[in-house]
Formats: sequence, C-alpha cells, structure tokens
Amino acid sequence: MGDKEDYNWHYLTQLKMRIHAHQKVCECLLREGTLSLAQVIRFTQLSKQNVTNALLVLVQHNCVQAFTIQLPGGFEEEPKIMTQYMALHTNIIHHMRFPKFLAIVSKEFGEECKEIFEGLLQHGRLSFNQIMDRHKDKHKADITNGENSTAANVLHENFNKLAQAHYIERCPAHEPFLEPPEQGAKKRTSKSKIADAPPTLEARALAAATPMESLRFLVDVDTLSNGALEDDSKNSPATDIVGEKRKHDCLEPETDIWATNKNKEILWRVNFEEFVRRLRQKFCVSHVTTSLDRGAGIVLNAIYEASRKEETKVKMETTVPLTMDTILEETMKSEEGRSLKLDGVKASLVQLGCEVSAIDFDSDTHSIDLKKIIDQAQSQEVESIVLKKYGREAYRIFRALLKHETLYETDKISIDTFVEKKDVLKILLQLLKDDFVQMERLGNEAQKMDILLWKIHKRSLWAQVLDDMYHAALNLKLRLVHELEQAKDILKGKAVGAEVVQKRKRVGEKWKVLESSLMVLDDAIMLFHDF
Amino acid sequence: MSLLNKRKKPESKTTSGLLDSDKKVLNVIKSKKESAIWLRDLKRDSDLADPIVTKSLKNLITAGLIKEVKHVQFKGRKHYIAAEFEPSQEITGGSWYVDGNLDTAFIEQLKETCLKVIRKLKVATAEGVYDFFKTNRLTNTECTSQQISEILRSMVLDNMIIDVKSTGLAEYHKIPVGQECYRCIAGDKAPITGAMVSIPCGVCPRIRQCTPDGLISPSTCVYFNKWLEF
Repeated sequence: MGDKEDYNWHYLTQLKMRIHAHQKVCECLLREGTLSLAQVIRFTQLSKQNVTNALLVLVQHNCVQAFTIQLPGGFEEEPKIMTQYMALHTNIIHHMRFPKFLAIVSKEFGEECKEIFEGLLQHGRLSFNQIMDRHKDKHKADITNGENSTAANVLHENFNKLAQAHYIERCPAHEPFLEPPEQGAKKRTSKSKIADAPPTLEARALAAATPMESLRFLVDVDTLSNGALEDDSKNSPATDIVGEKRKHDCLEPETDIWATNKNKEILWRVNFEEFVRRLRQKFCVSHVTTSLDRGAGIVLNAIYEASRKEETKVKMETTVPLTMDTILEETMKSEEGRSLKLDGVKASLVQLGCEVSAIDFDSDTHSIDLKKIIDQAQSQEVESIVLKKYGREAYRIFRALLKHETLYETDKISIDTFVEKKDVLKILLQLLKDDFVQMERLGNEAQKMDILLWKIHKRSLWAQVLDDMYHAALNLKLRLVHELEQAKDILKGKAVGAEVVQKRKRVGEKWKVLESSLMVLDDAIMLFHDF
Repeated sequence: MSLLNKRKKPESKTTSGLLDSDKKVLNVIKSKKESAIWLRDLKRDSDLADPIVTKSLKNLITAGLIKEVKHVQFKGRKHYIAAEFEPSQEITGGSWYVDGNLDTAFIEQLKETCLKVIRKLKVATAEGVYDFFKTNRLTNTECTSQQISEILRSMVLDNMIIDVKSTGLAEYHKIPVGQECYRCIAGDKAPITGAMVSIPCGVCPRIRQCTPDGLISPSTCVYFNKWLEF
C-alpha cells in the first residue's frame, strides 16, 4: 500500500475548484500543511495581495482556519507572534454535499428557511443583517412597506429555528491565539507520552476557535431586534467567546479586513457537524429498514427524534438510553408508528439487538448499538466489491474470513465454504495480490510443507477502500469535466435540429449519471470517513 | 468383532495364489489402513523394483484385494487402499465429495431446499430444518443433521439466510432463548449493491495504473466509454 497515492488529496484539490476559491493557495495548504502567510507566498509565488485575497475567500467559505502562535525569541530578540493558516479538509469536501444539506433543511423547515440557509451556503459567513438585506433584495418586488416588519419577523423566526436545530452556528474565532507550552512544565516521561499524546497544533487551534457550547447556537435577542448590537462588551464576535485565553489586544492581525466585521456583528455559518449527524442517523434508519424491516427503521427513527438534543458527538457508538415509555410515546407520534403497537415496538427493539424482557420496568432503558450497524454497512460495501470483482465463491470466502477474525487455515476455509481446496487457494492468492487478505506461513515438518493461514486486516483494508473511493470520486469528477469539455460546442451553439437536440439530450443524460453516481459514492465515503 | 471376521473372509480366499512380491505390496498397503498409500511411498516402503510393484498392483486389483482411490488434495497422485477399508475423510474430502470432486449439484440442491424450508418455517434451528427434512422426506439421498448444519452455515456466508439468537418472543417462541437459529434476510434480497460496484472504477482491474494525466485516465477510459454509451 506504500507505493499508492493518497487520493484524498487529489480529490480535495479537484473539489476546491468547484467553490472557485484561489486554486493555488488552497492546493498549497492542502499539499504542504499549515503555513504562515510568508510561506504561502513563497510556495505559490503569488503577490502578497493575491495570497491575502485568496485566504480571505477561503476563510469566508470555511475552507481555511487561521490561528496565531508565539515563536520563541532568539538572542536579544523578543518572542514573535505569527499567524498560521490551516486547510480544513473535511469542510472542503462538505462543499459537494450542499445539495444534501439543503434537502434536509427544505424538508424539515420549508422554503423560507431554505432561502436563509442557501444564502449561508453561497456566501460562507453572513451576519443576520446581511441575511436580512439579502432577503429584502430578493423580495423587493413582492413586499410593500407595510408588510416589511411582518416579513422581518418571519425571517427572525426562521433564523431562530435554524439555530435551534443547530443547523447554523456562530462562526469560530477567526484567529485564536495558542498559548506556548508552559516552560516550567514537568518533562514528560516516555510512558506518559504514549498514554497521553498531546493534541496537534491544528486540533488545539480548532478547539480554541470554537465558541463555547452555550453561545454557539445562541441567537441574541438584540441581534434579532436591532440587527447590530450596541453594547461593546457584547458585540465583539466569536473572538471574545474564548477570550480569556487569547491575548488579542497585543496582536496586530495580519489582515485588516478580518477586523472590519469584528466590532459590528456576529457572523453565522452552516454547522456541518449537525448535518453529518443527521445524515448518519438517516443512513442508520435506512440501513436497518432494508436489512431488518420497516418496523425497525420506524423505532430507530423515533429513538433518534426523542434524543436529538442529547447526542454529544457525531460518532455515537450507541443511542442515548431511553425507557420503553419514551420510545413508545415517540413512535406513536407518527402515523406509521401507530400501526406497530407495543408488541411491534418490542419486536423491533429485539431485532435491533436490545434485550427486552416480557415485563418491562420503568427503570429499564434501551439503547441501540449504532457501531454495529455502521460496521455491518461498511462490511457490506466491501463484500459487494469482492462479489463483483472475484465472484460468488470469493464472496463466501471473504465473508467467512471477516466472521472468523483470527487466522484461518486454507483447508478449514475450503471445508466451511464448500469450495475445492485448489480453487480456495487460487482465490485467496488473488485476494492477497489485491491486498484484500493477508497471509502467514506456518512451517509443518511432518508434512514437509507450509501451512497457509489467512486473515483480513480490517483497519488497513477499510483505509484502502476509502482511498479507492476518493480515487473513484476524483475520476467521476474528471470525467464529468471531460464530458462537458467535449460537448462545449453543442451546448453553447445556437444550432437547432433533431441531431443537435439528440446530442444535447445525450450529454444531459451522461451528466445526470455521473452526478448521481458521485452523490451515491459520496454517501459511501461518508460511511467510511464521517460515520 | 463380527465386522472384522466378515472382512477377513474374502482375504483368506484369494491370497493363496499370490506371489511373495504381491503379498509384500499388499501388506504395506494394508498397514496404512483407511489412510491409503501414495504410489511413491509404496515403492519406497516395499523395497521392490518399480516394474515389480506395478505388476503386483495390477494383480492385486484384478484379485479384488486393493483399489485405487482419488485423493481430494492430490488428484494427480495414485493412491491405493486395501479393499476391506473405506478411504478416510482426508482422502475423500468428506461426505460432500464424490470421486475426489466436490458434489456441487447436491450441495446446491440442498441449499435450495433448506431455503424453502426456512421460508416456510420463518425461523428454525438446524435441528428443526433437519427434522423437517426427515418428516417430509425431502431428498432421495440420506443426509445427516451434521450435513444440514454445514449447509446452513455456508448459506449464512452466501447471505441467503442470517443466523440469529432466539429471543423466545413472537416468532421465536418455540425456540429456547439464546439458541442459534436461522431466518431469511429481509425481503429475500440478494446482497445489497454497493456504491463502488455501480461505477466502473469500483471494480476496475486497472485502477492502480489510472492517473488523471496518465496513459490510463478517466478521460480516455474504455470502461467509462462503455458505461456512458447511451
């Protein structure tokens, strides 16, 4: 696997072209890692102004996070404060998921909320006033002066709904200051280093930039009534939220433009994390619906709905423990849930892996093993690749190996899978060649031959499959660009006629197939990367 | 004991007219019992010249004292066994092998029948499926409960059925709690099609050589051309 390319990077650089940010700067940060402004200028050989502008756009679209660190001073030199820029890989990939996010908001809150949300997706970061202006602009023709205030109220309400659902959040601090590690701190022993690895600079920067949980989704009443806040102590944006840690006063930001909004309004952006959470939930519900039945899907959905606010992180291993009463109550809220009745809900919980006794006590709580559902779905994806690529017998062998977990002898595999030994060996060697399985030899003196033992190294195989997915997604994207390039003349030309219409239709069909395949593939990427 | 007496009878009748070399070869073969012996090992152990061994083997087979058997793992190697023994599982490959070959037709037929039984019973233990076979005489060939268990386990690997632990509730009420049982997968579907297999790159044999500007690239890819041919 060592000689293989990392297609995550290729795919990212392809995606960033989609958001029209400055390709060179983004590519440079993705390739080189976290850099200072001077380093970006040196690597890209662009002018300072161009790089600054590019970084501004990238920060605005949440693709780059800035932070400042203190560099130790040299002989007779004061310590130096320096701003660093890091690319946010996951956020860049999220840009291609905007249609999915938009669909969730539209389905849940309707067109008006979708409009606000769309604005945030388009512009990256907006203040409430900017959202209001955008709305006024768009509906200039439809609204008379008298209706203005009603429209503004509706907008406030919808904005509040989005924040309440955690679909939008206050922007992180634009340039948090990271304290240098304490000088007097005890030297870490080699043991403690292993047990407690210090967080990376990037992880520290993200943590420092994130607003406190209590403020992250807080829509200030004043913001809603007046737009901008008047009180200076309140109005500095997210920078003050984690204020005590930062020594912003003594710093001069590298870009004055950053500061323009600083003392005016709170900036808002889309909270990608919440959408990943929602997509994960939707995925789990749809997976159990297909693999078990409709009832299991309805019950799992009800559990999610009942514990929506209590989930603390995206990759929850189990659902929040709930009593049977709570689950039942939530299930009965929907039309199809009511058809299940108590026995149906109990049966579904059992199918989902809960231990349900005949008599349920009030104190008994139930939670679903989500990790198992995700694991199962991931295995299914890899198994389907094996089935299509190597055939049914290989599929059976691969599933046997996945189930077995420990080293598995060739003869035993042959017996358990009903595949002739020579064929088993042939298949296993093919799978070995393509890194799907791993082999170990065990010398056998008595038979004067080696015994071959096989196993699947799940973690490295899953990583390889994910990389193949990035490669495939990159290829779909490149082919899409190629197809559009090829059809440029047909699409742009004003010529009409049956033949041209037919050609345009064909290009459209190709585009649809490629785009929809990319979306489906992205679901699988999320399954392996984000869920 | 009675079985041994029975087996010795034909031997006493026919060994009388054998040459010394024939007897030596026969004894070596008999000493291996049901494990059978490979021709090369036989030549070495009997300490006789190759043509004599070959001739003796011919005589012994004609006399019905030994037989040639196929070894499931080494089909090209000649193995011999005394007539009174049945070859061991290592030689035959077990009950699923006929003449050293996997009896795939029988296996497939059993799988199909098992699937029908489970569909009918909704959920069943291996023993339950076996009982259903016996009561309804579903196969012409005799099969054991062990064989049914093996077939069911391989069907799980085929994703034709799933193995679950009985909860004792609803449809599991006849099965003791915790006992392993089998049920059909939802909607009796074939394995769910994955995202990767629905696009050419997901199963492409040349994916490792494919690069954006290489000889093999997405814009020149023949598999893409074929896929996007409307």
